[in-house]
Amino acid sequence: MIVKHTTVKLAVLMSFIFLSSSSHAQELFAMTEPASNRAARSIGLRIDNSIMDEINTSKTNYHLIPEIMAGISKTWMIAGNVFFSNRSNDFKYEGASIYTKYRFFNKDAVQKHLRIAAFGRISFNNSDIHQQEINMNGHNTGMELGIVATKLIRKVALSSSTSFLKATDNGNNNKFIYSTKESKAVNYTFSIGKLMLPKEYKGYAQTNINCMLEFLNQVNIGSGKYYMDIAAIVQMIFNSQSRIDIGYIKEVSSTITRTAPNGFFVRLETNFFNAF
Amino acid sequence: MKLSFIIIAIVFSLTTKAQITKVYLTASGLTCSMCSNSINKALKTLDFVEVVKGDVKTYTFELSFKANSHVDFDKIKRKVEDAGFSVSSFTAFVDFSNVQVIDNKPVKIGDHSFLFANLKEPLLNGVKAVKILNRGFVSQREYKQISSPAVAIGIYYATI
Repeated sequence: MIVKHTTVKLAVLMSFIFLSSSSHAQELFAMTEPASNRAARSIGLRIDNSIMDEINTSKTNYHLIPEIMAGISKTWMIAGNVFFSNRSNDFKYEGASIYTKYRFFNKDAVQKHLRIAAFGRISFNNSDIHQQEINMNGHNTGMELGIVATKLIRKVALSSSTSFLKATDNGNNNKFIYSTKESKAVNYTFSIGKLMLPKEYKGYAQTNINCMLEFLNQVNIGSGKYYMDIAAIVQMIFNSQSRIDIGYIKEVSSTITRTAPNGFFVRLETNFFNAF
Repeated sequence: MKLSFIIIAIVFSLTTKAQITKVYLTASGLTCSMCSNSINKALKTLDFVEVVKGDVKTYTFELSFKANSHVDFDKIKRKVEDAGFSVSSFTAFVDFSNVQVIDNKPVKIGDHSFLFANLKEPLLNGVKAVKILNRGFVSQREYKQISSPAVAIGIYYATI
């Protein structure tokens, strides 16, 4: 309850900060990917940690997702990640996914851009299917195809995506237990990020602090059921190369069965430019 | 005959290569220092570049070059684009010594041929800031406003 109250307060405070200043942000979102591509020939390494409260139990689900990303060209990137979690009591490997993104539209101006990209993910998971929510990032086997547009205006970044998801049976004979119609869903997201510090850039070694709000929604095509989440994230970027994202994700409204929609998120990331 | 031709070619290239002293470019499409750093690091990988000084505040990069190296403007531009951004301004500092521009024809300076727009003086001397106006060297908006002539590949449309 205390956590809930704090989150709502933080979300309100952050909304106020965003709305009260006219122009200033960043787009390195934690819950969604922006339309901008990675630098060509760069490698990024991520360790994502989710610490989620299981509903109606005192259990905490810990998900560990290490990820490697590569910028193949200025318009195309690929990434692969591996899913580990303790949801089925033992902490163990549960699956993996391959993600790719292609930026097909780019309009740059000084301190501004508009970019649009298409993305896709193929996921494999061998855990039991335990919720109606379809989640390609550590829960379901299946695929996701989508489009994302990102607008940067000085220090503020706005990003919106929509994607189609299709779940199939999970591995280890874990069947998709709902009807085939309910195996399809649409995700739609809206993210806003703002560069808070430094007020003025002096060098690459300065620590940058970004604040982000992300609205994450899903509608199941078969059942029409939905969920709406909000995530608040504080991000620190060190030496213009590494970052830590700390966030809290909270279900705002839902008619879908979900086991653990609320919890903390911590991402550690470092990037190697001109790596290959 | 062949040998003398090669010698002339070498002498010509030596005397002209050293004439581009610096390049200042501004990148667009970014505000974050991580983005700027990716450009900075990409430019440093060019074999003819000696030093890159990136200004994270103005998104401007100052490049100086190794002696007798082949400075390639297109490679510089490509590095910025590969990092995920665009060049919105590209100015080369060129040291001219008695270069005569005749009838608005392209002049070869070092490894580059320039077609100068609105040149006030046909005789060029000393270090001049040469702003490149080709597509990809200015912002998309500025390029639309410039009525640049159709220049052959390898020729840079420029102003001083």
